[in-house]
Amino acid sequence: MLDVSQIAKTYPTPRGPLTILSGVSFSLRRGDAAAIMGPSGAGKSTLLYILGGLEQPTSGTVTLDDRNPFSLSEKDLAAFRNQSIGFIFQDHCLLPQCSVLENVLVPTLVSKDGAGAKDRARELLTQVGLSDRLDHRPAELSGGEKQRVALARALILKPVLLLCDEPTGNLDQASADVVASLLLELHKLQQTILIVVTHSAELAARFPLRYELRNANLHPAGA
Amino acid sequence: MRTSTLLARNLKWYWRTNLAVLLGVATAAGVLGGALLVGDSVRTSLRDLVLARLGNTDYVVARNGFFRENLAAAFAAGTPIIATDGMVAHPASGRRALAVQIYGVDQRFGATPAGQQILLSAALAAELGAKPGDTLLVRVEKPSAIPLESLHGRKEDVGKTIRLTLGAIAPREFSLNPQQGDVRAAYVPLARLQQELGEIGKVNTILVSGGPLPDARGSVTLQDLGIEIRPLKDGLSLETDTTMIPDVLAERASATAKSLGLSTEPVLTYLANSIRANGREIPYSVVTALDAPPAPADPAGITLNQWAAHDLNAKPGDAVWLDYYVWRSDGRLHTESAPFRLAQIVPIAGAAADRDYAPEYPGITESNSLRDWDPPFPLDLHRVRSADEQYWKQYRTTPKAFIALARGQQLWGTRFGKLTSIRISPPSPAFADALRAALDPAQMGLTVIPVKARGLAASQGATDFGEYFVYFSFFLMVSALLLTGLFFKLGIEQRMREIGILRALGFSIAKIRAVFLLEGAVLAVAGSLLGLAGALAYGELIVLGLRTWWIGAVGTRLISLHPSIAALATGALAGIATGLGAIAWTLRKLEPVTPRGLLAGETKHGSAKPRVIIGIVAAILACILLAAALLRALDQTAGFFGAGTLLLVAAISFQSAVLNRRSSAIVGGLTTLALRNAAYRPGRSILCIAQIACATFLIVSIDAFRQTGDSAGTGGYPLMAESVLPLIHDPNTTAGRDALNIPPLPGVQFIPFRLRPGDDVSCLNLYQPRNPRILAPPAAFLRNAHFAFQDSVPHTPNPWLLLDSQLAGGAIPAVADANSMTYVLHLKLGEDFVLNQTRFRIVAALQDSLFQSELLISEKNFLRLFPDVEGYRFFLLDVSPQRAQEVTGTLEEALSDYGFDIQSTAARMAGFHKVENTYLSTFRSLGALGLVLGTVGLAAILLRNVLERRRELALLRAVGYRPSHLAALVLAENLLLLLMGLATGTVCALLAIAPAVSLRGGRFPIASVSLLLAAVLATGIGASLAATRAALRSPLLAALRSE
Repeated sequence: MLDVSQIAKTYPTPRGPLTILSGVSFSLRRGDAAAIMGPSGAGKSTLLYILGGLEQPTSGTVTLDDRNPFSLSEKDLAAFRNQSIGFIFQDHCLLPQCSVLENVLVPTLVSKDGAGAKDRARELLTQVGLSDRLDHRPAELSGGEKQRVALARALILKPVLLLCDEPTGNLDQASADVVASLLLELHKLQQTILIVVTHSAELAARFPLRYELRNANLHPAGA
Repeated sequence: MRTSTLLARNLKWYWRTNLAVLLGVATAAGVLGGALLVGDSVRTSLRDLVLARLGNTDYVVARNGFFRENLAAAFAAGTPIIATDGMVAHPASGRRALAVQIYGVDQRFGATPAGQQILLSAALAAELGAKPGDTLLVRVEKPSAIPLESLHGRKEDVGKTIRLTLGAIAPREFSLNPQQGDVRAAYVPLARLQQELGEIGKVNTILVSGGPLPDARGSVTLQDLGIEIRPLKDGLSLETDTTMIPDVLAERASATAKSLGLSTEPVLTYLANSIRANGREIPYSVVTALDAPPAPADPAGITLNQWAAHDLNAKPGDAVWLDYYVWRSDGRLHTESAPFRLAQIVPIAGAAADRDYAPEYPGITESNSLRDWDPPFPLDLHRVRSADEQYWKQYRTTPKAFIALARGQQLWGTRFGKLTSIRISPPSPAFADALRAALDPAQMGLTVIPVKARGLAASQGATDFGEYFVYFSFFLMVSALLLTGLFFKLGIEQRMREIGILRALGFSIAKIRAVFLLEGAVLAVAGSLLGLAGALAYGELIVLGLRTWWIGAVGTRLISLHPSIAALATGALAGIATGLGAIAWTLRKLEPVTPRGLLAGETKHGSAKPRVIIGIVAAILACILLAAALLRALDQTAGFFGAGTLLLVAAISFQSAVLNRRSSAIVGGLTTLALRNAAYRPGRSILCIAQIACATFLIVSIDAFRQTGDSAGTGGYPLMAESVLPLIHDPNTTAGRDALNIPPLPGVQFIPFRLRPGDDVSCLNLYQPRNPRILAPPAAFLRNAHFAFQDSVPHTPNPWLLLDSQLAGGAIPAVADANSMTYVLHLKLGEDFVLNQTRFRIVAALQDSLFQSELLISEKNFLRLFPDVEGYRFFLLDVSPQRAQEVTGTLEEALSDYGFDIQSTAARMAGFHKVENTYLSTFRSLGALGLVLGTVGLAAILLRNVLERRRELALLRAVGYRPSHLAALVLAENLLLLLMGLATGTVCALLAIAPAVSLRGGRFPIASVSLLLAAVLATGIGASLAATRAALRSPLLAALRSE
């Protein structure tokens, strides 16, 4: 269960503090899938990075299965991200020097539970339709294929929380559809908590829960 | 997938950056390994030189005087030779070579000149321009058992000239003394040399090969030590070939006789010019001093024999005067007189008739008449009467007078001894053997020298070239490491997003750092292995430099590269350690950046405040050190390095603070935009500035330390001279000049120094001096306080006078040049140099003087320690500089028989400075190589910046910037970094060297430093232009489309 309570985030600037998030609260359970929309600069990515433990909130708490990532040491926080959270970025963020299979396996390098990872990676890559591209380098893939690799990588350690930052933002419509379908399909299969930040109304429409980030706070879409 | 797989992928994928890092480590490892190799190579080359020149010789048995050639048979593979210094003249070319090693050799030595021939070493033949068949004149010191500086020593003809024909060039180089320079040796047939020197069947050196240290005791005879035991009617007379009994022999002989139950009677016999009484006088009479009758017990008394008393019409109680010559150490014969009271008159009988009290004086004792005397002192034959001739004919050397021994020793005792013979009675055949057993040959001057072991020890070198070249290459290494760090940093910055991904995927910072460190370790190891080859190449390059461009530092072309595993391993390990250190230092900046920032490609700007604090603290400390150096509370060198480093730290910290400060200024032009660009990656910019600043600092400061040909260290004497043969007479007196055949030279003052030849202790000698050359100035010189001193213990206005002080424990006070003391002898003020169990304590250090090759002690101590070293061989000449050339020509001509060689003191100083300046040139050359690396770093940063900002530059073009605008922008940014580096280095260097420049009289090489800085600036502009060109050549608009 993901519990977000009174999250606030301000940034110091030469002209005074800039509030990005204020009093953001919500809860999601396993199997929930939510889309967060909002204009550029509204703080969507900031919220996502806070949920993923990549950025510390100015105030408020986040707990995932009753664990507050920001109370953890740097080492434990890293392990927490590794085990419990999966990330997908707008820019796929694959390691150019590694093959498709290796990219998917990268999180297992620091995982204590890496047994059978290779088989699982192959399975995931099969599920995203890249079973014949295991040895290819990212440079040899299309944008949609790269994002599918990123999806497989995000799920390799069966995370509780899957966070996606504009996962289809760089893709054409066809590729975006494929990635979105795969994302939801695999989410359903693995019963993760899925949160997607997107500008795309089409992508958001495919999610049962939709929020809009306005005036530094989260509001149900259309409210 | 394992970490190793990721590592392999990383190494392969980022191979360009990794190659740069690897090359940086390889350069650092290669430079360090190469520098250490140079040290090993110089040592090994010196060692090889010693071994090659000594051949089979392990030990040398030598004596100041001559001994039986047959003594060589007592040693395994002993080769008797005569070894001496001399000069060789080549009449055909008019050239002459001084201070040549002359060896008298025969077939036992190996290469043997036949008959009337001479062999020359290749270097000497080339110096003289002599070819086989040419006539050569060899002049050597004529041996004289009787000390020259005694009444009976022959002073007029101290040399012997031998005419020989050059047979060939000697097939091997031979030298007993470790020296890196060319061997200048002449090989003369042993028999011929023995004949010419009047030493038939005798030599002064035996070369011994193999085996343990030979023990000469068992084989040496008393005769080999110059001792003779003459049988007398009722006893024995112990005498020496010097006519004087050294104190140590006297003590041993007395002890030996006592142990055998024999009695001894010490005897001192002298020649009186006159015995005067009652207005009458007897010329040229032998007088004997004894402790027993017929000598009086009263030191004021005198005994005359009946013949003398009658001749003088003297009766007991009458005043009697003895007039006699004494040779004083000032090089003059003085006539002195001593008063006595006639104690008794004895008949010429018994002891009073003993003509054997007198030793054998050449030119006197063998003469049949007084008129036949040929003594080495003035004799007025007009004073000789027929009665005197009659006495000589009848009584020969029978003393006419006797005085108490103590009084005689007071009047005629010398540093060579205070007795002329010792009577032993009754005659005992056991005495000679017992005395020989009791005597240590070394005490009589016959020593066994382990020349090979000593040479090998000396070949460890006075100067650790490895250490020096590590220092000289230090900046090059630092540059390479900075470049390593820089390239690694560029690589890291290039991979910031990757790091962000890894962190997002759960990699901890420690894990990421471990992966990168592992990557760095692989690169460091590979780079160090590559550096091994670089070390060999760099070592070879430096050795080549030492043989050619920097030969002034070593003075020999016989240095070659000798690879050593230890040096290479040290270089490689240091390369790994320092390379990893540089990489780890780069990685320290990862932590403060948030994963999100990493994903966005952000690097953390540091806070300005701590940098400002560091800068202020460093600046204050630097000021304190500078003030201390100016007030001489701190050594100049320590002040320079300490203040220089702190000033650089301060300046770079301030600049780092400025670049890390978030600028609120509005970009108002290309210059401010360039500044903003430089501040965008402050780490890169600071690295670049630091590298250029360090190089500039080094180069600017080195030029300020360069020695110029000033005359401060000459003491105001324009000329100095050294002679191969000693001058016994004082050239400052008319009599001395007459004796030396020098024409009158008004306005020329000689300052004669006693010289004990030995190892050069200056930077001109690469070998470690074990047996330093020692000079003794005259007492008057000490009082005049010439020459500047760096320091003395204790502080005193005239440290020369410390040479006369009495030191605790019997140490001999000595003065050394500060450079020689520190860098060659590796001593500090107040420390001792031990030579043959005598401790020489450095009480004062001269400041950059012409006395860099020697230690200086008082003449009194010199005569006590080295009584056998006679005359004067080193001179300072006080003459007006305008007459220097004329005086040089006159004196070298007049004293050519003595091998008198005059040199300008300025040239001497220039010789020393050449070494120092060569070191500085070396340092500067290697610093310049560091600057090249700095420029490479600058170019790399510039190119990197340009490549990273392709889109930005494309955007600027899209909004209307012309290529010239972009060029100006890039150039302005680059020039900014360059000028900051140059200004930082120059200002810090000028401040740091201020104390040194101030103490040297405020001179600063403005022209050469300005030229150098202009060159550096030009190089930097060149690099900037190259980067700009690259920027303009890249497809900028394509970069925009790639979005």
